[in-house]
Amino acid sequence: MRMSWRANALPSEIAGLDIVVAIRRDEGGELLIRDLQRTRAKVRHVWPLPERLPEDADVIFCDLAPGLANRIPWVPGEPKAAFVVIVPTLPPPDLEMLRNCAPDAVLHRPLTTHAVLSSLILARAHFTYSQRLRSRIEKLDETLRSIRGVERAKAILMAKRNMREDEAYQFMRRQAMTRRVSISAVAAVVVDTEEVLG
Amino acid sequence: MAVIENTQLRGTLLAIEEINAAGGINGRELVPLIYDPASESAAFGRYAKRLMVEDHVTTIFGCYTSSSRKAVLPVVERLNGLLWYPTLYEGFEFSPNIIYTGAAPNQNSVALCRYLMDHYGPRFYFVGSDYVYPRESNRIMRDVLRNNGGEVVGEVYLNLRAKRRDFQPVIRDISELRPDVIFSTVVGDSTVHLYQSYADAGFDPKVMPIASLTTTEAEVCAMGFDVGEGHITAAPYFQCIGGERNSSFVKRYKKRYGESEPTNMCVEAAYFQVHVFARTLQQTNSMETEILRPMVLGSTFDAPQGPISINPACSHADLWTRIGRVNRRGQFEVLQQSLSPVLADPYLIGYGRSMVSGQG
Repeated sequence: MRMSWRANALPSEIAGLDIVVAIRRDEGGELLIRDLQRTRAKVRHVWPLPERLPEDADVIFCDLAPGLANRIPWVPGEPKAAFVVIVPTLPPPDLEMLRNCAPDAVLHRPLTTHAVLSSLILARAHFTYSQRLRSRIEKLDETLRSIRGVERAKAILMAKRNMREDEAYQFMRRQAMTRRVSISAVAAVVVDTEEVLG
Repeated sequence: MAVIENTQLRGTLLAIEEINAAGGINGRELVPLIYDPASESAAFGRYAKRLMVEDHVTTIFGCYTSSSRKAVLPVVERLNGLLWYPTLYEGFEFSPNIIYTGAAPNQNSVALCRYLMDHYGPRFYFVGSDYVYPRESNRIMRDVLRNNGGEVVGEVYLNLRAKRRDFQPVIRDISELRPDVIFSTVVGDSTVHLYQSYADAGFDPKVMPIASLTTTEAEVCAMGFDVGEGHITAAPYFQCIGGERNSSFVKRYKKRYGESEPTNMCVEAAYFQVHVFARTLQQTNSMETEILRPMVLGSTFDAPQGPISINPACSHADLWTRIGRVNRRGQFEVLQQSLSPVLADPYLIGYGRSMVSGQG
């Protein structure tokens, strides 16, 4: 049975990634580094475990060591990379710490090639999905803020420029179109101007 | 529903054939994989999954009803595909995995409401099919109407598979209430039943028209030109708008599908969106959503309706707004149109509760 994995049979989203591996270079560590290199990844090995893991990578693989949560280079909820935690055979894992590190996938020793690749693709899939969801939420929040901002600007235009409600909206929409900016940008200018000029 | 949905398939295939005839994309042919969910919403989700998981497809063109789009949405979001959706809808959505090329409410409802109030009066009767799109559109229409001094005098929803006789109570209602406008969000085959029942009752479209966002040349063809005559639709596109681009499009469509086959807004959107996709693919040479989508946003195209662009702020197309009335040849005469493409505003940020004219 062939144990090697042809790089060109990999799903394209996990080929050629920038991967940081923070693991002791024992048998398991060697297997991990080798298998990742076979995906044509650019693999950076860091050991001993640094105070702060590097954040400029697509994926980070890291041993579950005591105090790991403090070495993660982002705050929980705002990950900058897909994160895979490697759980040792002994001691039994600190489950709370594992949860708080919020990895996208988990690898258990003893490591195998199949496990490595499964965790790689899943970690990337979870990470990128959560990024898309968070971006969608942020846009929704922004939309709500915009609606509020446009309402304020409308009220100002109606009071200061004696416009009717629909005239105020039409005015802002025309400005947005001419200046090629969003209507909330126009509204922000209206509100700011009013604050300055009174 | 199959009638209108089929016209979207035709528009898609026409564009694909044109692209391949011109040499394909970077020398490669576009090969469509086609599934027919037979108008069943949940099946759309299953087929989207099949396309992405088994057929290894990342770009999907399709969906007519909002229910079908909502069934596909979670699939393309989770698996990072890209759905190109060529149908008008109720707005208030922005998925990073959908390109919306049909009208949002600020591109049809708002102008239509203003036109109708100005020309017919403030009393509207709402009749629609019973699913998300009609209910949500009516919510918006009611808001716009009431905040401009209008009134909803009646509101009724019928099953998508409603029969002719199911419209009798609606006709009786209308007879008694005598609204100024019948605002219809009836979709699919039952559209014909509504308009035919209206004609049988002898009402006059010159004083009490049926106004719709969904009735196209295809539905008018099915109901009979005499039945459709005088009624009103708001859409980005009608077959008989002018323009060189449109006349050559209509010519090619008729050559391919038959002289008696009309084009409509759904065909046109399904058609131009494939061209936008192809142009982008030519540049990216990759169909991976991460690479394709950013290039689609902001792109422009000379569509049959006029120049359009994909607004990067919301992934919706900036489209032309037109209001048309059916003539005795089953074609729409344009009563009013926007001076330029109307920027998509799916959350109605720039509209508040007020109504604005069709221009700008």
